[in-house]
Amino acid sequence: MIPDGQTLSYDAAPAFSTPLRFFLTAPLFGAAAGATLLAAPELLDSRWTPGALAVTHLMTVGFMLTVMLGAMFQVLPVVAGAVIPRSGPIAAIVHLAMTIGALCLAWGLGSSAHGFLMPATVLLGGGLAIFVAAAFLGLRRIPVAQATPRDMRIALIGFTIAIALGMALGLTLSNGLALPLLVVLKLHIGWALLGGAGVLLAAASWVVVPMFQITPNYPAPLTRFWALGTGAVLVLWSATVYGELGTAEFALSAALAVLCVAFAVSTLKLQRQSRRSVPDMTTRAFQLGMGSFIAGLACVLVAHHSDHQAWPILAGILVLHGGFVSVIVGMLYKIVPFLAWLHLTQDVGKAPNMKKLQPDAPIRRHLGVHASALAALLLAALAGNPWLIRLAGALVTAEFIFLFANIVKVLGNYRRAHAT
Amino acid sequence: MSQITSLMTDDHRSCDQTFARAETAAAKGKWDEASAAFEQFAAEMENHFDAEESLLFPKFEAATGMTEGPTKVMRGEHVEMRSALARMRDALANKDGDDYAGESETLLILMQQHNMKEENILYPMCDSHLGGSDVAAGLSERLHARA
Repeated sequence: MIPDGQTLSYDAAPAFSTPLRFFLTAPLFGAAAGATLLAAPELLDSRWTPGALAVTHLMTVGFMLTVMLGAMFQVLPVVAGAVIPRSGPIAAIVHLAMTIGALCLAWGLGSSAHGFLMPATVLLGGGLAIFVAAAFLGLRRIPVAQATPRDMRIALIGFTIAIALGMALGLTLSNGLALPLLVVLKLHIGWALLGGAGVLLAAASWVVVPMFQITPNYPAPLTRFWALGTGAVLVLWSATVYGELGTAEFALSAALAVLCVAFAVSTLKLQRQSRRSVPDMTTRAFQLGMGSFIAGLACVLVAHHSDHQAWPILAGILVLHGGFVSVIVGMLYKIVPFLAWLHLTQDVGKAPNMKKLQPDAPIRRHLGVHASALAALLLAALAGNPWLIRLAGALVTAEFIFLFANIVKVLGNYRRAHAT
Repeated sequence: MSQITSLMTDDHRSCDQTFARAETAAAKGKWDEASAAFEQFAAEMENHFDAEESLLFPKFEAATGMTEGPTKVMRGEHVEMRSALARMRDALANKDGDDYAGESETLLILMQQHNMKEENILYPMCDSHLGGSDVAAGLSERLHARA
């Protein structure tokens, strides 16, 4: 028999508004991160300035996590057959909690108004807990034979650990909870970026790259063991961080970096074998992303052995803006027009094709601004020149407004087609 | 990977290769080459749909008693893909490169999200219900008959 909760249906897919609310607010957080950089260039002096912490969380929680949650509401039914119960109301609650929580977090960190960290902790922790519980409820009877659904579960666990550690940090700052701040912080970063976001990206890539870019499959050992292996090494690494075992910690950090580079290099190699010779914006965005990941990981390892403030900042820029933002944007440009097409076809029986809903030219222009913003950020971090930092801030603001405008344009085309 | 999943997934990938050939030729304005590749792609797709609709799905429905479940949805998506193929054929007939590129991109996403559902969910279910039967052999015969 078919297990309960497992179905294959457009009807099981959520309403357009469910993922869309996440995709529309996320670019605004990215633009806010750019505007903060524009207004306060001194925040790039070190990764520990309140402003740098605020910008980092506007980008990671406000943009990255928000898009990832919206996308998971959409893809869990498709790739895993998991139906999230009452996904509409749950998405509305999770979205509201994450949005207000991300604002409180950025404000609390940026202005050192630690009173805001308590509501941020409750809202972000609560919002993610509701999502994870709903997702696991949807996934509970789904077999774990396939790599993508299995690795998505691992990513959900990674995000849960990262948020729990983030909540502990919030309570340490706001309520004076006695925890070793730097140790918990390091664990929080490792689990958020690798255990959560990194594993989710890999899980999505196992299907997205071969299927949409028409490449050979990833090597079987990679899809079978990468996420599990990375999770296991992350656990060992966490023990060495907690035990403050410096040499072992560096060795395991290097092992994690090798795993990440193996994933990035494998993705780039597959893309070179793509049968599609037509220039595809998502492929370009992935290439920029994978290149940035490799460069960023090199900076992480150098930062281990150097006291220079620039290395961790360069690592952060390359991994977050060059890596995750690039691939997320690349995927959004496939997801949003396809959902518009799908819902139009369902509602009115016909739809303009995807390139009419989302033409290539504005995507190309947006990715140009994104790549310029990345270059400006890297130069600004190296030179430390306030005007260069302001320029980078202006470009980051512009790229996210561009992204927002492009998504709104697709919705305009969707509405027009709906009305005819 | 089990027999049915492996066989049908390989056939999906084989259709993808022909899809890419047609897309490349159309983007270069090589209309004769594009038409030949497209017609081969459409024939491969039809052969795959037919193997599912007339053999795999009925066997799955008989084994599980589910006629209103996943197979009904998959048949519905086949209808959508057939009309997308018809729009691509029209664009080729009009030698409209932009229209072909848009319709082809739309079909690619529609087809791949359909394939994801089949490869990750439906085919493994077929393997667990129809493993040991002669369904895989029958599918293999039909899919390879076109070669």
